[in-house]
Amino acid sequence: MHLLIGEAQALPIVSYQVHFAAGSRFERPGITGITHLFEHMMFKGTKELGPEEFSRIIQANGGTLNAFTTTDNTSYYENLPADKLELAVRLEADRLQNLQITPESLEPEREVVRSERKLRSVNTPFGLLIEQLYALAYEQHPYRWPVIGWDHDLKNLTWEDCLEYYRTYYAPNNAVVVIVGNVSADAAWKTVDKFYGPIPSQPHPRQIITPEKPQRGEKRAVFKKVSQVAAFFSSFHIPQISHPDLFPLQILCGALSAGRSSRFFEKWEKPGKAVEAHAEMGHPPFLSMDPGLLQIYAIASPSVSLATLEQEIWEEVENLRQEPLSGEELSKVKKQVRSYFLRSLETFFFQGLLAGLYQLRAGDFRLLYNVLPGYESVTAEDVLRVAQKYLRPENRTVVSLQPVSHSEHEDLGELE
Amino acid sequence: MNVGSPLRTFMLPKVVSPLLPNGLKVHAVLKPELPLVSIHLIFPYGAEADPPGKAGLSDLAAEMLTLGTQKRPASQLAAEVDGLGATLSAHAGWDATSLHISGLSEDWEKLMELLLEIHTRPAFPLAEFKQLKQRRIAALVQQKDESQVIADERFQEILYQGTPYDHPVYGNLDTLPTLSGEEVEEFYHSRFPPEECFLVVVGDFQVETCCRWIETHFPSVPRRREAQAGEFSPVSPSGIKTILIDRPDLTQSQIRLGHMGIPHAHPDYLAFEVMNYVLGAGGFSSRLMQKVRSERGYTYGIRASLEGRKKPGPFIISTFTPTQTTFPCVQEILAVEKSFIAQGATDQERTEAINFLTGSYPMRFETLSQIAQKIIQAEVNGLGLEYLSAYPERVSAITLEAMARSAREHLYPEEMLVVIAGRAGKFQRQFEQLGAVEIRE
Repeated sequence: MHLLIGEAQALPIVSYQVHFAAGSRFERPGITGITHLFEHMMFKGTKELGPEEFSRIIQANGGTLNAFTTTDNTSYYENLPADKLELAVRLEADRLQNLQITPESLEPEREVVRSERKLRSVNTPFGLLIEQLYALAYEQHPYRWPVIGWDHDLKNLTWEDCLEYYRTYYAPNNAVVVIVGNVSADAAWKTVDKFYGPIPSQPHPRQIITPEKPQRGEKRAVFKKVSQVAAFFSSFHIPQISHPDLFPLQILCGALSAGRSSRFFEKWEKPGKAVEAHAEMGHPPFLSMDPGLLQIYAIASPSVSLATLEQEIWEEVENLRQEPLSGEELSKVKKQVRSYFLRSLETFFFQGLLAGLYQLRAGDFRLLYNVLPGYESVTAEDVLRVAQKYLRPENRTVVSLQPVSHSEHEDLGELE
Repeated sequence: MNVGSPLRTFMLPKVVSPLLPNGLKVHAVLKPELPLVSIHLIFPYGAEADPPGKAGLSDLAAEMLTLGTQKRPASQLAAEVDGLGATLSAHAGWDATSLHISGLSEDWEKLMELLLEIHTRPAFPLAEFKQLKQRRIAALVQQKDESQVIADERFQEILYQGTPYDHPVYGNLDTLPTLSGEEVEEFYHSRFPPEECFLVVVGDFQVETCCRWIETHFPSVPRRREAQAGEFSPVSPSGIKTILIDRPDLTQSQIRLGHMGIPHAHPDYLAFEVMNYVLGAGGFSSRLMQKVRSERGYTYGIRASLEGRKKPGPFIISTFTPTQTTFPCVQEILAVEKSFIAQGATDQERTEAINFLTGSYPMRFETLSQIAQKIIQAEVNGLGLEYLSAYPERVSAITLEAMARSAREHLYPEEMLVVIAGRAGKFQRQFEQLGAVEIRE
């Protein structure tokens, strides 16, 4: 097990985090969504604790807690008074080895997760559109299915599936533990050793991750639903978290859409042609373990033709592939990303996420120290090069939202 | 102020609050861990000051400040802000309007200059106004697809009908198209008087140097007067009233139930906060979450909250559930609340609530913006800054009796406004069992 400890004195609190190498990329068709559903089951009690008692105890000791699942990791955390660190360590170690789940406790949680899927994907304006974008951009790699899973799979997951998942992925040797806060590193280390030391390692999970083949031509799809606006969401394949090209790509995204002097804002948002127009690829440490996607999307204003808007945006992207950024634009975006990164360091929690997720996704937490120098070293030629390399039309996938009437919406079948 | 055991000693960040010789009040907090600074200029009026039929005027006037000054057109201002890696925003809230700029400490003086310039020399360019209005109208049209926002908005509009809180801060599609640039400019001059504003500066900077700079450059403040909010005469509902917003395309209903609560400075506010942790604000520790989510599996999340405002803020229970469980879910919520009022909290629940609220209190002062917001809220809602340091001790003193009384006196399960965005036809009949039902588009 990897243990990372950061001493920080600003406040009498500590962030305790356990990151497991368990994300939707480790799933297979038929059991999509199990990683996330299982995250919920981790709150269902152990030999000593009743269901949801974990949360109650942490909160009753002045802590806040939660968990989240991504394509690459499942993470559990408690932010609490620094003198309560041992409580969090003990309870996390307890549920790592003594989780008690039953077929009865799975049923209500299955419905909770299906409700969460409706909340986040089905009943949001663009949730299903983005699901389709990933399903189209990735043909072979597991990033093609959503973290929350397909509804049909959620209905069919079994208690046995959950137990197998627990046995396979929930072991100390598959985890990165992070502590950031007002603690002594030596004492914190001893505490973790006391509770995790006796927990045996498990055989490393067998990893069969099918890599995505290079895309050889634009892919397009249309999604029809009731909507006030038309929109398009597009993606370009880009490298994984540890790749140095992500720094100039981040600068490129900034030039396109960070702030009110950005190209997208000035050309489309400001004059009211687009409700929103954006280029993004995630900020450190939320960059993917395997090659990810840079997304460009625009929501057309009601009176604007989506086709024209999309065409104009591709022309702007083409400009980036032809002309290097000016020195002024480059230094502006560099300062923006530096400032954004510094602001993200304000909480112990986020400092912990940076260390934990760089360790888990890239294999080395020290890469977080490269972020600011990485941005600083980017040249206009770097940005031009990555624009030419990754923002090619052949590397592009586009899904458009086409608004339809209620009756046409109904005729197309139930959304789930 | 010390809280709890010696190990858990928490010193509230030191707030220096000089009244500068030029009459301006400043709250400065030194937080040197990161080279960042966050500056807020606050006016004690917000969207409640929008005249009748002019919903959105305050917020529009605020944003117009960021869209050009007599010295710089909007594009140049935006380029300067972005060039500093800074963020600039101006928004109306309830009871306050905030001009905010934040960026790197090395640029604190430039940030101050820009804030001062938009405050004292706004240009209100007509072309910018037209574009801003167009952007906001387009955003509101798109927002019709957001069922959570629709449910929140409709709930508050109906709940506060006839009071200054009766409209969304950013206006609506009836009012926005009618507002003119001249109106916005005139409103700014009458409603953003310099004598009532105050500054909050938090971050890594030299407090004395900064205060001297402010004193030298900010205009002197001639006199102070009491902030005037619009008239507030809450309408008391009678019985449970249900409004169904028909959205046949949704597979899940957005549910809001509640009524007006008590103002933030009300003597029972803290007792209500501790009580409501047990009822619905305490996550998995709350009665509503235990019953509606964990036992019934009706929803992914449910929460009861009382928003602290200068005047009575809304008490809202918010959740969502698939269409077929919409009515059972609401029935369950009402049953939980009634039984809670009848039985009260247990001693253990009280202790846990107090431990949470006091133990997690330091985490509410972790970022520059959190610290600034705490100070602004205390000032605007009339709590006074001493409230911030006295909070843990006062919360710890809340008794079971005080909690029970706040539940009896300030919760009205029989007088709820229920607003649901979803497939109205699927559950309209069921809701008629509770009282009057109205369907709206």
